[in-house]
Amino acid sequence: MTRNFFCGSADHAISRRGFLGAAAAVGAATAADMTQLNVLSSPALAGEMKKKQKRVILLWLAGGASQLETWDPKPGASTGGPFRSIPTDVTGLHISELMPEMAKRMKTTCVIRGLNTRNGDHGSAAKLMMRGRKDEASVKYPDLGAVIAREMGRVESKVPDYVTFYTQTEGRGMAPGESGFLGARYSPMELTTNNMPEYIKKLDGINELDHQQRADLRELLSKQFNQGRTSTTLASHNEAYERVRGIMASDKLFDITQEPQKVRDRYGPTQFGEQTLIARRLVEASVPFVRVARAWWDSHGQNFETHQEMVPELDHVMATLIDDLKERGLLDDVMIVTLAEFGRTPQINSSLGRDHFAAAWSMTMTGGGIKAGSYHGKTDDKGNKVVDGEVNPASLFATLYSALGINPHKNYHVGARPIPLVEPGTEAVKDLIG
Amino acid sequence: MPTKSPSPESLKLVKDYSRQAAVFAVARVPGKTTCYFGSSDFKVSVGDFAAAKFEPRDLYAHGSYVTGVALAGTTLVSGAYDGKLTWWDTEEDETIRTVDAHGKWVRKVVASPDGKLVVSVADDMACKVWDAATGRLVHDLRGHKEKTPTHFTSMLYTAAFSADGKLLATADKVGHVVVWDVAAGKEIGSVEAPVMYTWDPVQRMHSIGGIRSVAFSPDGNLLAVGGTGKIGNIDHLEAKARVEVFDWKAKKQVAEFVADKSQGIVNKLQFAPDGSWLLGAGGAGEGFFVFMDVAGKKITKQEKVPMHVHDFAMSETADAVYAVGHNKVAAYKLG
Repeated sequence: MTRNFFCGSADHAISRRGFLGAAAAVGAATAADMTQLNVLSSPALAGEMKKKQKRVILLWLAGGASQLETWDPKPGASTGGPFRSIPTDVTGLHISELMPEMAKRMKTTCVIRGLNTRNGDHGSAAKLMMRGRKDEASVKYPDLGAVIAREMGRVESKVPDYVTFYTQTEGRGMAPGESGFLGARYSPMELTTNNMPEYIKKLDGINELDHQQRADLRELLSKQFNQGRTSTTLASHNEAYERVRGIMASDKLFDITQEPQKVRDRYGPTQFGEQTLIARRLVEASVPFVRVARAWWDSHGQNFETHQEMVPELDHVMATLIDDLKERGLLDDVMIVTLAEFGRTPQINSSLGRDHFAAAWSMTMTGGGIKAGSYHGKTDDKGNKVVDGEVNPASLFATLYSALGINPHKNYHVGARPIPLVEPGTEAVKDLIG
Repeated sequence: MPTKSPSPESLKLVKDYSRQAAVFAVARVPGKTTCYFGSSDFKVSVGDFAAAKFEPRDLYAHGSYVTGVALAGTTLVSGAYDGKLTWWDTEEDETIRTVDAHGKWVRKVVASPDGKLVVSVADDMACKVWDAATGRLVHDLRGHKEKTPTHFTSMLYTAAFSADGKLLATADKVGHVVVWDVAAGKEIGSVEAPVMYTWDPVQRMHSIGGIRSVAFSPDGNLLAVGGTGKIGNIDHLEAKARVEVFDWKAKKQVAEFVADKSQGIVNKLQFAPDGSWLLGAGGAGEGFFVFMDVAGKKITKQEKVPMHVHDFAMSETADAVYAVGHNKVAAYKLG
């Protein structure tokens, strides 16, 4: 099979898969001591090494969580709402009183309080914040999950590269998993009705022996057919079958009854907790990207009631995930991103709600190469605008990619056209990269 | 038997005044036009609706939204989302005491008709009965579950005494209502109004609603509860205001009112002194009054109010209603 993964950039004349292939060729012993190959002197290869084991869990707060009731409280301001702020384990950093568990874990986490993303429409803002840029008329960009799947996925992997849980209906169509010009290979496995993929399980009427024998027969016929032929289509066909068999074998990853009860209890009985536990199981099994969408934060009415219900759940699940990854030694390799399509207005409307607001809001990153215990950006006293450290979608994505060891300036190619991973001229926020 | 209460048809707006903050609670000095307010600026203030210039005076502040004010004689007791209750001497203009009363938001503070007791309810799901004079905790009443059926924290929104002060009703987010014997501190009845609680497990995985107001009929036999009905799009409180009335001893719903011209939540309910009508007030983006004929089982009047109404105080003869709400307060007359 001929597959060209060369990104086209001179900096990346040695591609990720090329690198891994070469490393495999010289044997595992060599791979265990890469310094002998002097790879670390090459920025491109150093980046490849850094990102080798990286994975991402995106906690997608669909509908737009309020920054004022989470990461950027303004207690006492006329826009501040009723909740108090509490100190965290990072000196000088206060967050909403609704997040006491995260307050004890902010040393693991980075907060960006200066997002100005200029789009308060659910649909287009969701696309923007899943991609870091707007689609063009002729180019559909891949979202974060597809890029991570492309960069971190392995050809021989028996697990999916990109899984997304979005089991509520509101907002799902606004932020579907999207592989864009990367094509169907990097489209997500979408779970929209329950926590177990449909059709992943072998039919009850077929036993394991039947299943294996059918695969063997298919492979035999395929080999016979392939004799004397050169066909990339056939090779791709065989790869697809192997991949399906691999994914079918991963069904247990989605089954939380495989976890000890005490672990399930830690995450809690809510759907968000259960799906986040599955996400941990998936990344532990080397799935590069998992999104757990939690709808629906759109609180035009009764904003404080909404956040009183939903923020403690986020606090609990996020803190549990951090602890769990840390205990398993995975927090350096797995990045948790907590993001929505926008935040909510500082102004409190007559329904005691907050409306859509993209001018000054917040998100977090934890683990996976981000600088722990950091915070960036500042909003004014009422939270109306960013007064320091403004971050736009492109620089956010440049920061994410950089922390994960992916050069944000690398090019993909659509035909002969080079497509930079982030918008040209965009830089990562360097003081947030660990 | 009280004199006949004025007709709802005579309702007339006298004056409305803008405020910088949302006003969540009001308590009226008996026999007067002076009212105490609790607001989203964390402050407790006092103002006179009959004054030439309505300029409420700030008295003291809490650490969060002030959501309950109750007058027990000359003592004002306020409660806030900071979990604290503050006793204020209205004659001496000074704080008597502040108590860490609840672990979560205080939602409502009410005084018994004789002014001897004060009750606070909060999202720690406790209903606490206090000696108004000494601040001693008399009863800590636990009749509401801390979690909703879907494992989220519940909320205890409201409480009301009966006219004779012997009964107390409390109501929560999931539509559970408990009737208490005040003297004994014992639960003596309960009713359910589940339609008031919307849990959407599929589209939004989020809940909203709850019983926000309760009121006994003057004879104590009927219990009215207010909130909203089932909401489709819970982003915007898009539901008709809803009131259900129960014969609480028989655990039987006797009337149901769905206000077709009034959107949002019924935040306050009160019967006319003679029991001839029931007044509900609330709102969403806009506010409303809804008058109900309980015996006739019909809504008799719906009136738009110039703000989302969070609370009102009625005069003894129901000839005046002082409504407070989002960035505004308003005085109405009846009769």
